[in-house]
Amino acid sequence: MAKTILTVDDSGSLRQMVAFSLKAAGYDVVQAVDGQDGLNKAKEKTVDLVLTDQNMPVMDGLTLISNLRTLASYQRVPILMLTTESSDEMKAKGKAAGANGWLVKPFDPKRLIEVVQKVIGA
Amino acid sequence: MKTLPVEELRELLAAVSSHGDWHLLEIETDLQQTAFLLDEAIEKLGNSFMTVYAHLMEQQAAIQLLADAGKLQVEEVAQLQVFQDNIGQEVNKVVTGMQFQDMTNQLLQRTINRVHGLKMLLQELSSHQFPMSADDEKEEIRQFIRQLNQNFDQGSQHLTGSLRKSVSQQDMATGEIDLF
Repeated sequence: MAKTILTVDDSGSLRQMVAFSLKAAGYDVVQAVDGQDGLNKAKEKTVDLVLTDQNMPVMDGLTLISNLRTLASYQRVPILMLTTESSDEMKAKGKAAGANGWLVKPFDPKRLIEVVQKVIGA
Repeated sequence: MKTLPVEELRELLAAVSSHGDWHLLEIETDLQQTAFLLDEAIEKLGNSFMTVYAHLMEQQAAIQLLADAGKLQVEEVAQLQVFQDNIGQEVNKVVTGMQFQDMTNQLLQRTINRVHGLKMLLQELSSHQFPMSADDEKEEIRQFIRQLNQNFDQGSQHLTGSLRKSVSQQDMATGEIDLF
């Protein structure tokens, strides 16, 4: 059974490219347009991995991670940030919030899949 | 030496503000139009890319059927594999390149917000809210400019504080990855 990944990004084109890359590698993908939407969808179904942007309207990525980590079902689910932000300060905030990794955009599909496979397996 | 009457100065500053406001409005409009065009373009590019890729997959499946049925020479199968690998590499490059709009849109929105903020600041020039009490016109002008400068400074700091730069990428090279 394919593993499910929740991707959260307010950019439609980015969501499209992430979903394309993940589906091509055999994963099921659930998409959300901002942090709040991501939180709602994460509650509907516990996924195997969350891949989220940082800067989004309504709720940003760090707040989403903090909220997810308060849920019992998301204590151990890997969460990766995929964002344009690249400063050490932001990465430290991400780590403190509970992120398991930080990927700076733009991503290379091959490398993205390698990281995902490393984190949750094929 | 003849000094400029404060009312005349205010009118001149209001005129400067009006000119600046008009140009900033034009810039804001052009930026919004650019953002809209890029948004529509990336949507069309993305959808076309998906369609082309789906057709490619169908084509590869059809070729695979021919290969499995032994209707292709070994050299032809090897050559097709090279084509497939090349296509795969190019697809990866397209996926990376297609992410430009996410970054350009963030930069454009930041610029639009700055232009909007600058328009608000320029309105100070045409406002008439400063008190006029001094008998000495020269002193009044000095006070007027000083107050104006203070308001600009405060407004500028507030604007800068609300416009944190989230995109530092200078090219489309893929970003670094850190696992914690």
